[in-house]
Amino acid sequence: MTTYTICVFTSNTIGLLNRITIVFTRRRINIESLTVSETERKGVSRFTIVIKHESREEVEKLVRQIRKIVEVMAVFGYLNDEIVYNEIALFKISTPLGAKPLDVETINKEYKAWVVYWGLDYVVIEKTGVEAEIFDFFQFLRHQHEILEFVRSGRVAVGKTEKGLVEYLPEAEWAYYL
Amino acid sequence: METVSVLSDIQPAVETAPADRQDFASPPQPAILPLSGSEALMRSLLAEGVDTIFGYPGGAIMPVYDALYDYQDRINHILVRHEQGAGHAAQGYARMQGRAGVCLVTSGPGATNLVTAIADALIDSTPMVCIVGQVAKRLLGTDAFQEADVMGVTMPITKWNYQITNADEVPEVISKAFYIAQSGRPGPVLIDITKSAQLELMTRPFHYECCQSIISYRPRLVPKTEQLEAAAKLINGAKRPYMLVGHGVQIAKAEDELRQFAEKTGIPVATTLLGQSTISTGHPLYVGWLGMHGNYGPNVLTDQADVIIAVGMRFDDRVTGDASKYIRQAKVVHIEIDPAEIDKIIRADAPVVGDAKAALKALLPLVNANDHTVWRNEFRKYDAIEHEKITVPSLSGDSEKIQMGEVIDLLSKKTNGEAVLVTDVGQHQMMASRYYKFQRPNSLVTSGGMGTMGFALPAAFGAQVAAPDRTVVAIIGDGCFQMTLQELGTIVQNKQPVKAIILNNNFLGMVRQWQQLFHQRRYSFVELQNPDFVTIAKGFGMDGHTCADRTTLAESLDTLLAHDGPYLLEVIVEKEENVFPMVPAGASVAQIRLS
Repeated sequence: MTTYTICVFTSNTIGLLNRITIVFTRRRINIESLTVSETERKGVSRFTIVIKHESREEVEKLVRQIRKIVEVMAVFGYLNDEIVYNEIALFKISTPLGAKPLDVETINKEYKAWVVYWGLDYVVIEKTGVEAEIFDFFQFLRHQHEILEFVRSGRVAVGKTEKGLVEYLPEAEWAYYL
Repeated sequence: METVSVLSDIQPAVETAPADRQDFASPPQPAILPLSGSEALMRSLLAEGVDTIFGYPGGAIMPVYDALYDYQDRINHILVRHEQGAGHAAQGYARMQGRAGVCLVTSGPGATNLVTAIADALIDSTPMVCIVGQVAKRLLGTDAFQEADVMGVTMPITKWNYQITNADEVPEVISKAFYIAQSGRPGPVLIDITKSAQLELMTRPFHYECCQSIISYRPRLVPKTEQLEAAAKLINGAKRPYMLVGHGVQIAKAEDELRQFAEKTGIPVATTLLGQSTISTGHPLYVGWLGMHGNYGPNVLTDQADVIIAVGMRFDDRVTGDASKYIRQAKVVHIEIDPAEIDKIIRADAPVVGDAKAALKALLPLVNANDHTVWRNEFRKYDAIEHEKITVPSLSGDSEKIQMGEVIDLLSKKTNGEAVLVTDVGQHQMMASRYYKFQRPNSLVTSGGMGTMGFALPAAFGAQVAAPDRTVVAIIGDGCFQMTLQELGTIVQNKQPVKAIILNNNFLGMVRQWQQLFHQRRYSFVELQNPDFVTIAKGFGMDGHTCADRTTLAESLDTLLAHDGPYLLEVIVEKEENVFPMVPAGASVAQIRLS
């Protein structure tokens, strides 16, 4: 199984998320993660969708089917080595009085993570990185403290190359949305 | 959106916000006042040149129907008997007109009844604009009376759908709807319009501009030169080239270009089911049709061609059989307007993305003149075998009961192959395709990709409305007829001279055939106890009669065709007749069976 990251640029329309995910569900392809937000261009959204698949050919077909949706402006399909990508994770750690103190130095220096909120008897630590780095940090924390809550976002990614697989949106056309 | 103005009213801008109105009927409006959403819808439809709507009123679309009352002289609204009938009629209309058929129905069940026709239109690339009422905006998501999530339901089966919740949106959304439905690879579009948007007044003057392009949607019409050159190189180097022609040629109105291309290159032409009538069956380069019940030679020889030129077709599984064994030996030129179809089923060595008309026109000067006589004669050998083993016995008149092929063959002769055949789905559909000798383009309207039983009667009605000068004959099975027979009422009320032929074998014939061949004759729930179809037709006010005797068949068809107005002819046919040739499901096309 190979991990593919599919970036979809769309106009910001109600119901479009549904229309895009239908393309995956119809083909029984599981979405590993999905993040959506408006881009720097007003009215243009960017979907970052991660899937695992055995066949690059099938992924290319999938990309073409997504491109077919009327509101979709461009679709890029990437392999991991073609993108710079990250996730963000938040850990809520129990720190009651008398418990083991937080090793902030290791957390900062070794794991590049930061405490972003101090509660009365807990702290919230933010860690960005790829999946493996986040779970490595998870293992570290688990042995030191009680983890009350853990959440990680879907992947966000930008391509290393100028153009991605299959499609790109001509720069001139961005002007329409500025 | 780039736009071109076609209609603009000289009305002053109104600064007041839309009134908070109850769901009462819209009051009469002097022309100078801002328009209601319903009135704006009417004007938008007129601006798109809509003159016919197939519809069924109901609570959530009543303001639109109220506005329609004032436009009766310009928009012919046809009241069907069931929303599915509206959908299929719009499909029949669109297929004959080459532009979008329009449906107008209410929310909830009105919309869901339309779903089958929408799905059918999507898979057969039929342009359709469905306008559907929805509950008022304040009631959305409350499980209100006749509320259904029509947007959610139709998302996977429409080319585009949109919910209008504000009267101001009407003109722009309708123009986009028609543009999307009719451009590129055509398809159905659904517009869900809330009752509040129908009732409320626009906050600005009505102004309509025909949509010409959408930033994210740009169908490529003219293919790239390098793609054309690569395709021409393959075609010019071919020893055994073969053209597979689909519905896309008809949609692009590229029949002349196809004929010129075939005549210059001498390449044999086969069609898919929906591609039939694209080229006259009598043309020397036409070799027959492809697929599960297609002709013998066209199927077998697909696996012997060295270059396949697929035009406006999508390698449906009913055409390819087992796709993993299909044309492994051939290089493939795939001319197709929808880039998502390229490499979807069969990998193309030379894809040509563009409109079939533009592509064939551009290819014509690039290809060499040829005649491929030896290769073309191969088809004739298989034709002879098929003729002897299947056609002759089917048309011999030796069986006790009339056979389906005899009816179609005789109909073909009596109409000189010039009628529009609208068929339902099943054995009769395949027999109609086998034995009708199409002479004119755009003469077969059938449900291909969805295989929708009940399609023919309403679609024939729609086709007849769109093509009043042509003889429209619906070929219907006894099972299919009972799915939409209520549309007899629509036909009679609108005085459309549709000729309906029911081939009655008291069976769901195709299912029975499969049960016979693949399920050891275990005829599980396929025998029908049928009503008296002619009495039913007469109950609706349509003349008709039953023919059960071969000696009266010719006379019966004469009566049908000569009748002034709609007519129903029921022909009692042999009960257990099978359609051959046949490529069993999942087999390769070379494994086609003659018995």
